Amino acid sequence: LSLEEASTMSDANAKINAVKAAQKFFSDDKERGFEAKMMDESVRLLTFQQQLEKDVDGKVLVFGQSVDATIHTCLVNGMTKKAEKVRSDFKVPDKRFWYIKLRALTTIRDFDGLDAF
Amino acid sequence: MSEGVSSLEESPSDQQVDLSILSELGKNALVNSLNSVNGAKTLVLDPSLAGPLGLLTEVSLLKHHGVDKMFWLEAGPLSVTTTNIVYLCRPNIKLIKTIADQVKRLTQDSQKHTFMLMLVPRTSTLVSRILEEEGVLGDITVSSFSLQLIPLEDDVISLENDNAFKEIWVDGDETAVYDSAQALITFQKLYGLFPRILGKGDAASRLTGLLTRLLPQASTSDVPETLMAPSEKLDSLIILDRRVDMLTPLLTQLTYEGLIDELIGIRNTYVELPSSLLNQSTTAGPSAPPSTAANTSTAPAAVLAKEKKKKHRLTASTDKLFAELRDLNFSSVGKRLNRTARELDEESKHGKLQAKTVAQLRDFVGKLGGLQSLRLHTGVSEMIVPLTRTDNFNRALEIQQNLLSSYDPSAQITAIEDLMAQGADLQIVIRLLCLASLTNGGIKAKTLEGLKRDILQSYGYDRLPLLLSLSSPSLSLIVPNPIPPSFPPSVAASKIPWSSVRKALRLVADDEAGNDDSPQDISYVYSGYAPLSVRLVQCVAQKGGVLSNSATGDGRKNGKSSNPSELQVRAHPIIGWRGFEDVLASLPGDTIDVQQKGLRGNNVNGPSADATKMILQDRTSTTVVFFLGGCTYTEIAALRWVGRQSRGEKFLIATTSIISGEGIINSISGGSKGPPSKEATL
Repeated sequence: LSLEEASTMSDANAKINAVKAAQKFFSDDKERGFEAKMMDESVRLLTFQQQLEKDVDGKVLVFGQSVDATIHTCLVNGMTKKAEKVRSDFKVPDKRFWYIKLRALTTIRDFDGLDAF
Repeated sequence: MSEGVSSLEESPSDQQVDLSILSELGKNALVNSLNSVNGAKTLVLDPSLAGPLGLLTEVSLLKHHGVDKMFWLEAGPLSVTTTNIVYLCRPNIKLIKTIADQVKRLTQDSQKHTFMLMLVPRTSTLVSRILEEEGVLGDITVSSFSLQLIPLEDDVISLENDNAFKEIWVDGDETAVYDSAQALITFQKLYGLFPRILGKGDAASRLTGLLTRLLPQASTSDVPETLMAPSEKLDSLIILDRRVDMLTPLLTQLTYEGLIDELIGIRNTYVELPSSLLNQSTTAGPSAPPSTAANTSTAPAAVLAKEKKKKHRLTASTDKLFAELRDLNFSSVGKRLNRTARELDEESKHGKLQAKTVAQLRDFVGKLGGLQSLRLHTGVSEMIVPLTRTDNFNRALEIQQNLLSSYDPSAQITAIEDLMAQGADLQIVIRLLCLASLTNGGIKAKTLEGLKRDILQSYGYDRLPLLLSLSSPSLSLIVPNPIPPSFPPSVAASKIPWSSVRKALRLVADDEAGNDDSPQDISYVYSGYAPLSVRLVQCVAQKGGVLSNSATGDGRKNGKSSNPSELQVRAHPIIGWRGFEDVLASLPGDTIDVQQKGLRGNNVNGPSADATKMILQDRTSTTVVFFLGGCTYTEIAALRWVGRQSRGEKFLIATTSIISGEGIINSISGGSKGPPSKEATL
């Protein structure tokens, strides 16, 4: 279990590897099916974030954020499609997604968007 | 509250246990170990020890004993001018490595340095092994400084070991239990043997085992008189294991002191407040001459601009108003403040006219001191009120109350989900979730998985270790229901049959009658919930209070005109858990009941006979309640209330540290506050 302590690393690739190692560790144990799945998701999120940062040339920092925070950042920066992608990839429940969207739209003062609700 | 304090002050002979001996002991130990190093020295402190030490000594005292400079123990090089360097730290692997690093660096500089390492509370072989591995064991003298129970208030003593809870139940590290045993033995050396030890919980039973085993060892070398016979002042020790009552710390505390701890944070009795609140109060006063009034108008502006946090020590011994306020339910704090303000106002008007003699004048000035603390507490309340008005705070409170009364559990889970979706603090969500799991004997496996997933997605996947340790068998704060067969049987055994326990011990009061200035039951501290831990203490010390409050309550209402002391229940001798065996058996953990007779063995009648005798003589006896794993300010408040209900009985609260639900969650999630998370912007 000490493996995921390593996942606090700052370097992007090292972090992904550390999480992968943790994932493997969990999948060895049948009782830890849930944890393994979660770690798997975590790896996917991290790679997605890495890709995203590359796409926008590091203008937006999302690496290491949680799923919700990632959606939030995407929305704030006008990347609605990306946000929708995260939402479907990680099966974020509607209720939570709308709350995030609500907050995101308020931060960028997109009142037209708010109206459109 | 005022009643309890004044009775203490009025009759010092009645105050059985003088705690100042304890702090003297700690201070002397420190001074002695400092004096063992000759010449000027640099003291390097483990930051986590600064608070506890501050309660024992002052910087001036340290300077007096040759301390030249003081540093925090931090990674990186250390620049020192003195030849002697004294490290003072807890045996923590990371800290020791830092020390070894610094020692290596300094010895390379070819300067002559003498190193001394003082470990709190004692040395361990692990430390010397690390030092050996680092190759510096020869350069350093290792000794120990035993920091033991420190008095925080006149009825609260603490080991101030914030990590005790985590160490025992998350890491499975039992040093905290051993240290507690050592501290309690020291306590018995000073005040005499506990005639009877009662307790609940597995760790508590290990502590009791250690106590009874270590005692003969301790007394073979030098036999203090006090260890020979049961104490006459103390009637028993009640050890409560935090694991037995996890519910209480998870709830939001609602007493004044508890809320300050929840929302602002109290560390080692110090609270950080905006300095404007503290400075202003010293200059302003109703009778201040115009010249200073002009000054104050400019000064606060400057202070406010900086808004630097300043530490203020909260203690009842210097602040009488705080003594009154600290244990009140927050809802009645405002009323009390208002009343005090009006009293002071009247007195000052009165005083201006009549303050003619010097004595009257002095009296009047003394009252102004009261005004300062009034200002302070009004200010603090003002800080707290907006925080208690937030949506999340109130919703969390509502969920807590509903869960406690087992009202529609599944709806509460949905409510928790809502809170999460709205970006509530992780800490609040986790606390509610643990609470839901505890009161319902687990959460349905599928729902639980969904919730865990939500948490990880909203707060980051790096929270997985926290969830894992929360559901680990040793804590089992979050468990699926029904429990899968793969889990060890201990998990199933640790479930609390909540609804039956709740009924048997009357944990949830039906009416909120206690929620005013004159509470009738301890449930006032949580606005309707009586802390399980304190109820257990009542099971031992005040059986009537557990069974009904109506008897005493009605009696009070009807007989207000008659002598109040007649109405107070006479404290009955400590007779163990009798009457509550069934309830106790349903709670997890061992039940302990040990009698200590002392080595002389001339106590033919046994301690209970002693206790009876004591009651007949109308003397006050003290029951020491030791919380292994920490207790909350609210529990202290409740115990004080219990103590006030019966004559001839006082409680002394001992704990490993003072905790809050937030503190517990934080310590489990990794001690350090973790990386400054970006979600904070959410």
